[in-house]
Amino acid sequence: MLQGVLIYGFVNSVMLVLVAMGFNLTFGISGVANFAYGALYIMAGFTCWGLLNSLGLPYWLAAALSVAATALLAGLLFRFVLLRVRGLVISEVIATFGVGLAILELFRYFGFIGFEYTLPVWLDASFDVGETVVDAQRLLIVAVGALLTLFLWVFTRYTRTGRAFRGIAQDERTALTLGINADMVSAYAVAFGAGYAALAALVILPLGTIAVNEGYDVLVNALAVCIVGGLGSTVGVIVAGFLIGFAQVFTASYGETHWMMIVSLAALLIILLIKPSGLFGKQKELEERI
Amino acid sequence: MKRFSVYLMVLLAAGMMCAGPAIAAQELVLGVPSSLGFLEGKESLNAVNLAVAEINAAGGVKVAGKSLPFKVESIDIRDAAPGVPVPEALLGIEKLILEKKPTAMLVGPFRSEALMASLDLIAKHKVPLLGSIAMTPQTEAKIAKDPKYKYVFRTCLNARYFVGYLVGTMAFLHREFGFNKVYIMHQDVAWARITAKIVSGVLAQKLKMELLQIEAFPTGASDFSPALMKAKMKGADIILPIFDMPQSGTLVKQWKAMKVPAIMAGFISPAAGPAAWNTFDKKIGGMINCVFEIGNIPSQKYAPAAKFYQAYEKKYGKPIESGHGPAPAYASVYLLKEAIEKAGSADPDAIVKALEAADEVAAMGKVKFTPGHQVVYGNDPQKEASGCAFQWTDDGKRVIVFPPAIAEGKIKLPSWMKSKKK
Repeated sequence: MLQGVLIYGFVNSVMLVLVAMGFNLTFGISGVANFAYGALYIMAGFTCWGLLNSLGLPYWLAAALSVAATALLAGLLFRFVLLRVRGLVISEVIATFGVGLAILELFRYFGFIGFEYTLPVWLDASFDVGETVVDAQRLLIVAVGALLTLFLWVFTRYTRTGRAFRGIAQDERTALTLGINADMVSAYAVAFGAGYAALAALVILPLGTIAVNEGYDVLVNALAVCIVGGLGSTVGVIVAGFLIGFAQVFTASYGETHWMMIVSLAALLIILLIKPSGLFGKQKELEERI
Repeated sequence: MKRFSVYLMVLLAAGMMCAGPAIAAQELVLGVPSSLGFLEGKESLNAVNLAVAEINAAGGVKVAGKSLPFKVESIDIRDAAPGVPVPEALLGIEKLILEKKPTAMLVGPFRSEALMASLDLIAKHKVPLLGSIAMTPQTEAKIAKDPKYKYVFRTCLNARYFVGYLVGTMAFLHREFGFNKVYIMHQDVAWARITAKIVSGVLAQKLKMELLQIEAFPTGASDFSPALMKAKMKGADIILPIFDMPQSGTLVKQWKAMKVPAIMAGFISPAAGPAAWNTFDKKIGGMINCVFEIGNIPSQKYAPAAKFYQAYEKKYGKPIESGHGPAPAYASVYLLKEAIEKAGSADPDAIVKALEAADEVAAMGKVKFTPGHQVVYGNDPQKEASGCAFQWTDDGKRVIVFPPAIAEGKIKLPSWMKSKKK
């Protein structure tokens, strides 16, 4: 049992890190708390499903197009909605939350409810890890989680756009004096974060079905992990993802599954009471944000 | 000139008022107020339309020397959708009654609370309702106690009969394979909670089976792996799921991927129809699922069920996917036709009287009503209406395995399980 709990706890933690990574990236660079994040996650799932089942596209193409479409929509959201309220935190939150709500409820209104909305697993097999049987999709999630984290690290250090991301994150005004277009880079950051959400959706959703309500759960989980880890801190996201991920699986395994969702909310409340900036949220050490 | 215009308007208005009943008398309106955006609602409406098309093609309903066609008027009352308050559903039902003036209503609300709340409304307007989705037995007690609620009938099974099928399947597994330890997993909603509670009581007290745990899952949960690990660790022989949320099909996928050595037998709504096989990546073989009414699944041993199932597939180009609703909705139209013809009028009280005396062969079995206006369900469709349990085979077929009267095959344990019977 313990071995199984540890393995599934590890996978669950990676899933949480994957889900929170995009949200954290967007906030860390552009300062935008993208509350439409959960809706973009679900939108990526439905887009891929539609391209696969309605247009009959091959999976790789449908997946690539859904990631691109999600990122593009998020970029447009920044350009046409967020740019107008840039710097007004409350307005940004209201705008992104409103857009997210509209996306999710429109899916519901147009009848995207049902068990038929599923994405195929990438690898169809199970493996024995000691006495525990683990399906290949979960192992793939771990691999993708590791790859995306590594990619983010490389991207922000060895590419021109990535360095611009860091520049904006460290000091937007100084970055401006160096010729970095802050609005453009922020738009890229919002789109990049949404792209990460879409990638997370494509690897995690095959474990279940694409459901509108999951958009809200994804947002709550992403928020919980980011706030516990410290908004904007990648290290914080990883640590918090593992803390909450293991706590959820231990709770479900030795207590009741029903309490799983409470774990992330309880962690959120506790950290806000004890250390509101989060475990690694050192607001003055801005390089920590990415 | 002005006076002439006024006379003309009065005459026209009077003419229009007279035209209403005259047109209404040319057809019998059937109202379908239900959650039409949901699979069971959509397919139940299709089943009603199929029966109406068949009846109209055969000459309609014979009333007082005339042959009148049925006409269907539907409204989406959305009561099954989260967050929709019961009064909104009631408004939808009343709108249908007032605007379309139906002779009777079919299918009805999804949620039991909406059905309970609509009893007074239906009593006020005296429009017979033959419901085929909501399952609370509480309506029966009210109908039996107070004659003003006599207009409400139910043609699908109620929660009590559903429990009977679940328990029957458990007893069958106990007898056949010596399985004794049961792990119940259910959705955390009222109907599933109550069902789990009643089933657990019966299993422990009457069948003397060992109940390992009852675990609730919030609606929307899609990761069941911790619970499956617990079931494995506790040595469960049977996992009994009770779910109707779309995500619940993944429970079977995860059970199969983790090779949990306990047979999955219970009710998972999304795994009831033929499309579930591809939807869940052909990973549901071995699972035993309940279908609430035969006819929603073709039975080789009961011809009317297969006939309805095939007629539905022919008309709509795709098979029935839901395990609950379409067959009794289809049967309801025929029951109503017979009742109107026997009563010789569309008078609601006469229709109710004729329905109470009904003894008809229908898609889900022989139909008779209890004093609480519930169709009697049992284990042999030749004698009573019937539900069933079927098993998904490893090549994607659904084989009825319970009750024995209509069983088409024997239960096969998954490759990683062994019988405990010596």
